[in-house]
Amino acid sequence: MDNNGRRTFLGVCLGGVAAGFAAAVLWPVYRYLAPRSGSGASAKVVISEKDVPEGEAKFFEYAGSSAVLVRKRGGELVALSAVCTHLGCIVQWEKDKQDFLCPCHAGHYTPDGVVTSGPPPRPLPKLPFSVANGAITVG
Amino acid sequence: MELLKKLYKWIDVRIGAGEIVEKELTGYLLPRNINAWYSLGSVLLFIFALQVVSGILLLIYYVPDADKAFKSVTYIMNDVPFGWLIRMCHAVGSNMMVLVLLLHMLSVLCMGSYKSPREFNWLTGFILLTMVQGISLTGYLLPWSQLSFWATTVATNSANAIPVIGPHLVEFLRGSKMVGPATLGRFFALHVAVIPIGIAAMIGAHLFFLKRTGVSTPPFGRDGTTTPWTGDAYRYEGHPGGIPFFPNYALEDLRSVFIYLALFLAVVFFDPYIFFPRDAFLPANPLVTPAHIKPEWYFLANYQTLKIFPNELIGLSVQGAAMTFLALLPFIDRGRERHPLKRPLFLACAIGGLLLWIGLSVWGHYS
Repeated sequence: MDNNGRRTFLGVCLGGVAAGFAAAVLWPVYRYLAPRSGSGASAKVVISEKDVPEGEAKFFEYAGSSAVLVRKRGGELVALSAVCTHLGCIVQWEKDKQDFLCPCHAGHYTPDGVVTSGPPPRPLPKLPFSVANGAITVG
Repeated sequence: MELLKKLYKWIDVRIGAGEIVEKELTGYLLPRNINAWYSLGSVLLFIFALQVVSGILLLIYYVPDADKAFKSVTYIMNDVPFGWLIRMCHAVGSNMMVLVLLLHMLSVLCMGSYKSPREFNWLTGFILLTMVQGISLTGYLLPWSQLSFWATTVATNSANAIPVIGPHLVEFLRGSKMVGPATLGRFFALHVAVIPIGIAAMIGAHLFFLKRTGVSTPPFGRDGTTTPWTGDAYRYEGHPGGIPFFPNYALEDLRSVFIYLALFLAVVFFDPYIFFPRDAFLPANPLVTPAHIKPEWYFLANYQTLKIFPNELIGLSVQGAAMTFLALLPFIDRGRERHPLKRPLFLACAIGGLLLWIGLSVWGHYS
């Protein structure tokens, strides 16, 4: 092996060792900083039916984010993500108008989460729920 | 490689990087008989950087609140992925930093590198030692364990011996009559902001003096490259014909850093609790003092000195006198000779002082 070949070989070996060393340092740091996987993601939320009277909304934490249960006039229940689809602000329930307002850029949604005005590009995602023995289980 | 060369050229024509590299790295010449002890400064820089990085990572999960601090540390240790590794690196690293700093000082003492014209180097180094002790002491409280709480109680209480202002000083240090949430707040601020900034500034000053005065020539072996200082005017101690810092001595530095890393990681992985007594795993309880509370190993000699004197004030004064003597050593020891074997009085004092310190520490540990 000539000098250049040996130099290249040693350089590659050294680079490999350095890369291994960097990975051994960076991987624990990445894992340390990474959000905890599955923290609360699978947890179900139980809310009493009494807490959601007709025409009103109940906000709560769900799967690490914000969600809302709304009972429309007429008694129908809807569970939605409360995160505006425009830039991620949390929507507010306007009881008098019976709609959702995003205070950041004036996006409006119906109680079913459908966009009626403003910049939101998509409706609010619906969440699965069930009702049994006076309790609403979201998730 | 071609791309890197182009990038270097692009930077060089704009800011003259090549000139800096020539002046500070490849053209920065060191004595030909330089030894591995000179690389301890670089090892200390590396340790300080590691402490800063691991400390910042700990800040992400640590909560400086007396009700939550212990829980947050337990959470880091047990629940956060690799949290134990980050915390152990920080805790073991703090002990290793003191150890390497003491070795660095010892090598400077033995090689007489503290002597004229390097008084500033010695003084800034001495201030760094006290700051590292301070950052260790303040960091000790943060886990809010029984050990933290009572070791801090004992350490802050020793200021009580100072006449007139003692009791007020203790209360000022603690932020309250007893160690409590107020103490945690101020120790936290000192540990994560005030002292690190002070250490960084002092490291800057230490390196500035090193660059201005030049690296001292080891008193061992033959060098013949030195332009010695005569005391009449400022003179940079250059080493014409010496070895370049880069790549020659930078590789020596790197080797020392890796040897340190091997020892450090051996402790972290194989005996991480060597610096953690049982009380470090119990939450702080201000109503229950554990038996035989002891400070960290590097404060054991101070602790034992306070115990052997019948009066705390005498104990504190003796320690203060010893520290002042050490700080002012370059002004007291004014001889030009630097070889330790040609300085019998110095050697006897140094070995005697070291043995006394070790003896007091061992005594303090078993007392």
